[in-house]
Amino acid sequence: MQSYSSRHSRHMSDIVPPEVRPKPAVPAKPPNVGAPSPSSPFPPQGLGVGGGGISAPPPSAIPVPIGSHGGSHSVGHGIGHSVSHAGSHAAPHSGGHGHGGSHSSSGGSTLLGYIGIDTIIEQMRKKTMKTGFDFNIMVVGHSGLGKSTLVNTLFKSQVSRRSAGWARDEKIPKTVEIKAVSHVIEEGGVKMKLTVVDTPGFGDQINNDNCWEPISKYINEQYEKFLKEEVNITRKKRIPDTRVHCCLYFISPTGHSLRQLDTEFMKRLSHSVNIIPVIAKADTLTIEERQEFKQRVRKELEMSGIEFYPQKEFDDDMEDKSDNDKIREAMPFAVVGSDKEYQVNGKRVLGRKTAWGIVEVENPNHCEFAQLRDFLIRSHLQDLKEVTHNIHYETYRAKRLNENGGLHPISSADTQESNL
Amino acid sequence: QTKQGERKQYVGFATLPNQVHRKSVKKGFDFTLMVAGESGMGKSTLVNSLFLTDLYKDRKLLNAEERINQTVEIIKHTVDIEEKGVKLKLTIVDTPGFGDAVNNNECWKPITDYIDQQFEQYFRDESGLNRKNIQDNRVHCCLYFIPPFGHGLRPVDVEFMKALHEKVNIIPLIAKADCLTPNEIKKLKDRIREEIDKFGIKVYQFPECDSDEDEEFKQLDKELKECTPFAVIGSNTVVEARGQRVRGRLYPWGIVEGMHTRIFHVCSALFMENQSHCDFVKLRNMLIRSHMHDLKDVTCDVHYENYRAQCIQEMTSKLAQDNRMESPIPILPLSTPDVDTEKLIKMKDEELKRMQEMLNKMQQQMHDKEQ
Repeated sequence: MQSYSSRHSRHMSDIVPPEVRPKPAVPAKPPNVGAPSPSSPFPPQGLGVGGGGISAPPPSAIPVPIGSHGGSHSVGHGIGHSVSHAGSHAAPHSGGHGHGGSHSSSGGSTLLGYIGIDTIIEQMRKKTMKTGFDFNIMVVGHSGLGKSTLVNTLFKSQVSRRSAGWARDEKIPKTVEIKAVSHVIEEGGVKMKLTVVDTPGFGDQINNDNCWEPISKYINEQYEKFLKEEVNITRKKRIPDTRVHCCLYFISPTGHSLRQLDTEFMKRLSHSVNIIPVIAKADTLTIEERQEFKQRVRKELEMSGIEFYPQKEFDDDMEDKSDNDKIREAMPFAVVGSDKEYQVNGKRVLGRKTAWGIVEVENPNHCEFAQLRDFLIRSHLQDLKEVTHNIHYETYRAKRLNENGGLHPISSADTQESNL
Repeated sequence: QTKQGERKQYVGFATLPNQVHRKSVKKGFDFTLMVAGESGMGKSTLVNSLFLTDLYKDRKLLNAEERINQTVEIIKHTVDIEEKGVKLKLTIVDTPGFGDAVNNNECWKPITDYIDQQFEQYFRDESGLNRKNIQDNRVHCCLYFIPPFGHGLRPVDVEFMKALHEKVNIIPLIAKADCLTPNEIKKLKDRIREEIDKFGIKVYQFPECDSDEDEEFKQLDKELKECTPFAVIGSNTVVEARGQRVRGRLYPWGIVEGMHTRIFHVCSALFMENQSHCDFVKLRNMLIRSHMHDLKDVTCDVHYENYRAQCIQEMTSKLAQDNRMESPIPILPLSTPDVDTEKLIKMKDEELKRMQEMLNKMQQQMHDKEQ
């Protein structure tokens, strides 16, 4: 047996061995709730990592304060317990675990306190960074409202159809066309495949009846594609997602109110896709005109029962609700887009140069572009995808499953036509 | 598709991982771990040690006689753990009775049945109409405890693992490793690894390291892979030595050492956290801190998909034989074959229809004749 030095070093690298006087091992006791166990033979505080100023008692096996509470700063540890099968033991215990070297009042073994489940976030993040993200945005509005420019400004990149080499002075198509262009953009190690779906011809005809139908059809076709992949026997690990996550609807800055086409479109499509209305070319309105116009538009949207994104009914909790309420109050955002840079006050900014000054796109005093961008990209990008997947897509799927009475003969010969 | 050139300024979608992260933290995670092995291998103790909890405090241990008529049971324990704001709903699936009987033929059947049941439940939920709150009870990982007393895998070990290796991620462990010397452990590990290869058992494989990981990580990863199967020791007791209190086991011949100091050749307290004494730390780090997410992914993407594909094949072949049978789950036209195949299928369909009609006619004629 080693002799025990009376000098007690505080360092971990203490090479003085303890006196080995084994005591019978005491089996683990159930964790305490709140108060230290009276029978807990924990030595007085002052012993922990590095030890205290008294000679440490000989090694002994003592009950592990499993799930015991640490009055520790960092970690809260609640443990609920349920056993299914053969006698239910509902013994709720709550406990906190100390982390690191702090001492708990009941003598928790702080060295053992950290399990490490919070690292799962990091594991997830690594994985998603590797696989990358998809985002599909559709722009709708009659020609000349600056749709392509706005999208380019939003993503600070030439991502719209116009920039993909198609002629700017294309004739207005006879019917609404759907043109999708994809680009992979990268920022901060995050790769995103951005698809911009343009809808030339919308609202441009003399008779615009049903001009929303090709759009509706396209949206449903993407849902159908996804659904087919999902019910396949051998499914891909990551089903390619072409579903429209967000539809930016451009309102003409007439200063008066919404046009009939606007309400018709939004009414019909707000239940199958996330619609974000924006007031285009807002630099044709003064600030007061803008505010009045906004109020009127919001009232009309409300009266027509149009639920634009973020929809009230999908607010998860109070935190979301208050965040989203603020955004809903400020919508529709009055935006100006530009891909040209000018020098203003020594800085290079994106803007539009007019005879009476330079409209700075990212200046919140000039227009609400920055707000739209922050909302769309920096805070709600993921939520847009989730609402599309969990709500719009599920609605579509439920409809499709129901229309066949729940069962369907295995004949791949009769392919369904997409619903409108 | 074109690859974009440079970015002028910051757009902001680099925050996307954070947005995803925020939602996951709110939702919380779940993880289902199964433990299997004979009684007395230290399974419960290990689980308690891994998750710093006490799931088995009111357990009643049966004696040999009481166990004679025991069959393998499946018992679930659920614990909600929260750490640094992250919530985990941990389910431990226990399998008491496994391997304890005199005749252990097919003693893994209740276990494979349980795993299949969870798959089936998930399959139904996933195929149903209301998919809002699907409960994922699929088993993400199975820790299999191999006794340290033998010379490698026993027949029951081999059969068990082969029955399960395509249904669940198996991580074999050498239990109660404190009864072996380091040399013995090494020999046993080598032997077991050899036999796993020989019998074609597919245990859980750690994914390859990314090429852009740092050297330290790669080194750790390499050590991890070379260390399997992990030789573990569990402990519900705390041993105190030199002012340190750590989990350990106390023996008359010494206590195994603690995790910070290196003086283990002199005194000895067996501390679980000491990596030279047992692989508990490696197991815990792997299971919880680095591979938990991957275990879930492999369960979803590989094991579950295999089950699902098999299930659908069986169902479609049954339905093809018997038109009157209703599909238990909603089925849509399953695949989108190309035009030629579609034409072919259409032709065959019509042929089948005609043949069916002919059969019906013949049956009718025979029936009429008999009248």
